Amino acid sequence: MAEGVLAIQPQFDDARQQRAASNLGIWIFLATEVLFFGVLFAAYAITRIRFPVAFAQGGQLTDIALAGTNTAVLLTSSLSMALAVHAASRGSKRTLVLLLWTTVLLGCAFLAIKGVEYREDYLEHLVPTLGFAHPGPGESQVELFFYLYFLITGVHALHVLIGIACIATIAVMASRGRFSPSYFTPVDVTGLYWHLVDVIWLFVFPALYLVSRS
Amino acid sequence: MQLPARPQVYLLVWVGLLALLALTILAAYARLGAYGTALHFTIAATQAALVMLFSMHLASAHPLMRAIALIGFIGIAILVLLTLLDVLTR
Repeated sequence: MAEGVLAIQPQFDDARQQRAASNLGIWIFLATEVLFFGVLFAAYAITRIRFPVAFAQGGQLTDIALAGTNTAVLLTSSLSMALAVHAASRGSKRTLVLLLWTTVLLGCAFLAIKGVEYREDYLEHLVPTLGFAHPGPGESQVELFFYLYFLITGVHALHVLIGIACIATIAVMASRGRFSPSYFTPVDVTGLYWHLVDVIWLFVFPALYLVSRS
Repeated sequence: MQLPARPQVYLLVWVGLLALLALTILAAYARLGAYGTALHFTIAATQAALVMLFSMHLASAHPLMRAIALIGFIGIAILVLLTLLDVLTR
């Protein structure tokens, strides 16, 4: 395949149809991702309704400052990704590569902050099965909150990690001149995945960190 | 091939998202009771809509894409609703 030139696969009529097929494919995948996380939110809803007091206690033990910063970091990474896709559509290779690495860096910052947060949780004995301790009547119910907290944030962090790996790959491809204004579907599709990981976090944040602050 | 949105749109969306983030954090400290939870998730849904409509280009996408983007959310809404009908009426 020539550099930056679109090769139309035999099953497609033209570039537009091929691009639409890729977009349709990623959207179907993203719908399954929503279902995947949705099940965790369903478990969350049931548990919170059954144990509202324990969830209020658990929610107050999470770090709103770190999580709030992380939300801003992720929203900013979404901006740099959107601008990267735009740069790809204009054929500005240097801007594209720069914006993709910016997104990777912001993604890594998110994971680093998450790591600091997990370490704090461990030191405060909030990690279930790893010395969880919450003296008081509803200890096992607060522990249930933290099971969900680590499950949901952990699975989300895994998605961030996969996103970082994909964007780094796309960045290397971009610096080798593999994309052009007529062909940048991989950038576009990776961007859609990254935005969805961002969208999921937008629901994780209020669910786990804003339960009961007042 | 041109994208539907201009860079300025992404910047505006980003500013809007950060403003909503500040609002939802402030709301967490106001004594809103059960309304607080409703407000948090309304803000989250608004933020998600902004990202999906503009950053993910659903605003200008083919209706089929929009339908598929919604399928996951509708599926989850049905799942949560029916589960809660059971849990809340035991």
